[in-house]
Amino acid sequence: MKSDPNDYEDKVSEQLKRLLVSIEASGRAVLPGSNDALLNSIVEAAARIFGAAAASILLVNEEEQVLEFKVAYSPSDSGLIGTKFPLDKGIAGYVVMTGQPIATSNVNQDARFDQDFAKSTGYVPESILATPLLSGDRIIGVMEVLDKIDAASFGVKDMELMGMFAQQAALAIDQSQQISHIKEALILGLKRLVMDEQDSAELFSVLEESLDENSGVPHLLELADLFKEISTLGEPERKACLQVLNVFAEYRRSSTSSRRFR
Amino acid sequence: MPDETVRPAWSQHFTPDAIQELVAHGPFAKITPEWAWGNSTGKGIHVAVVDSGVEHDHPALDDCVRGGVIVEYDAKAKDYYRVKSDDKPADVSGHGTACAGIIHSIAPEAEIYSVRVLGRNMGGRAIQFAAGLDWAIENNMHVVNLSLSTSLEEFFGLFHDLADQAYFKNINLISAVNNIPEPSYPSLYSSVISVAAHEGKDPFTYYYNPNPPVEFGAPGIDVEVAWNKKQYLSCTGNSFAAPHITGITALIRSKHPELTPFQVKTVLLACAANTKRQGK
Repeated sequence: MKSDPNDYEDKVSEQLKRLLVSIEASGRAVLPGSNDALLNSIVEAAARIFGAAAASILLVNEEEQVLEFKVAYSPSDSGLIGTKFPLDKGIAGYVVMTGQPIATSNVNQDARFDQDFAKSTGYVPESILATPLLSGDRIIGVMEVLDKIDAASFGVKDMELMGMFAQQAALAIDQSQQISHIKEALILGLKRLVMDEQDSAELFSVLEESLDENSGVPHLLELADLFKEISTLGEPERKACLQVLNVFAEYRRSSTSSRRFR
Repeated sequence: MPDETVRPAWSQHFTPDAIQELVAHGPFAKITPEWAWGNSTGKGIHVAVVDSGVEHDHPALDDCVRGGVIVEYDAKAKDYYRVKSDDKPADVSGHGTACAGIIHSIAPEAEIYSVRVLGRNMGGRAIQFAAGLDWAIENNMHVVNLSLSTSLEEFFGLFHDLADQAYFKNINLISAVNNIPEPSYPSLYSSVISVAAHEGKDPFTYYYNPNPPVEFGAPGIDVEVAWNKKQYLSCTGNSFAAPHITGITALIRSKHPELTPFQVKTVLLACAANTKRQGK
């Protein structure tokens, strides 16, 4: 019997929809609630371990040729997040240009340090340790700790340890960027594919629907968030959740199979 | 299988408590700093600084910069890079000028060449770095300062091959180890002279670490260095330790042009501040 082309299209649509959802959901499940939460925890840990008054992560925006504050930890939060400045400005700019970490003290006398910019943020540090965030060969940003509390400057050991923190931060940033890039590329690619095919209105509508807040996607994402939360609980809680889910799945399986063979 | 070894921080071998006393025996005990580099100025030695460029007219350099090249990443070019000649080099950050200034302060008559491989590019850095090192090997340099490295495994083979080429052409590569305690190339190869920072200030006081891969420790903490735009700054990092050994190597090569790279390393070990000469 010849299969109906509409059936086939429906199946492809269904599979694509599931693919999009799973890409989004896996990103949610693997990474913390938001990537910023992980980065915040990394900079706060760095500030405490190095005895620094403040710490921050800046990301490179290649299109605009600027560095942008992604997260910042400081006892007096100065609302730096989102602030941009040119790639060749300040200590962070130096780190981006050379790919080398640097520790300096007496920053007030340091020509690399953009005084006006620092003053505009309401925070002018005395000492800085800044290190590049690397994704392979690419510099994706800079992590810095400011003002060592119990000493005049940061030392080589601080620099070495900070490099390890920076690797963690770079991995977290890289992962979330990759997941978002894959999703964007996939949606873009599929949309182009659909545009070429006159009769694929169904496919196109599925793609639109998968991005629509009213579709079933948010429910699945809620589920993914729930799984993530469960994964952070203790072993007994995880086991209990698993048992509940197994019972539910078993019930669903038995009820559908009994319907099918009735 | 992941590497389960916890790598030591590179500089920890050079803290005052960690420095081990070594003994030079027999003919090695006769090698002294005075014999090795006494009265040498580095004359006739070509030193390449593979870095962010060198500000040729910085007053701290006394016109010792003889020229250089700029290596640019180009995704469309064959081998992904282009090399442009740079007769009056400039520095895009200050890092290379700092290195050149340290070398010049130790070996005032050595001739410095700027090989600019760092800049405003976010990717392709390792390719530029390798191309810059290749240029230095092919252009009659005696000593090459590498205050940078790559941790990319896929470049292990290429840099190893370049390090071998340099070694067989009697070129000393002086390489700062990464400031992050992870593998970095070419600093971890046995044919190069790898350097981390110690806290001392005297430019001629350096130490040998008998537990490689990092072999030498030189001043690199709060070092006063030349910087671009005719400035001077205080900096910390292994980047600033390596040029000290580069300068001393230039002095040795100038005074003893017959020495090979492995003999130079032997002389450096014999003259390290933690090497006791038997009978001294």
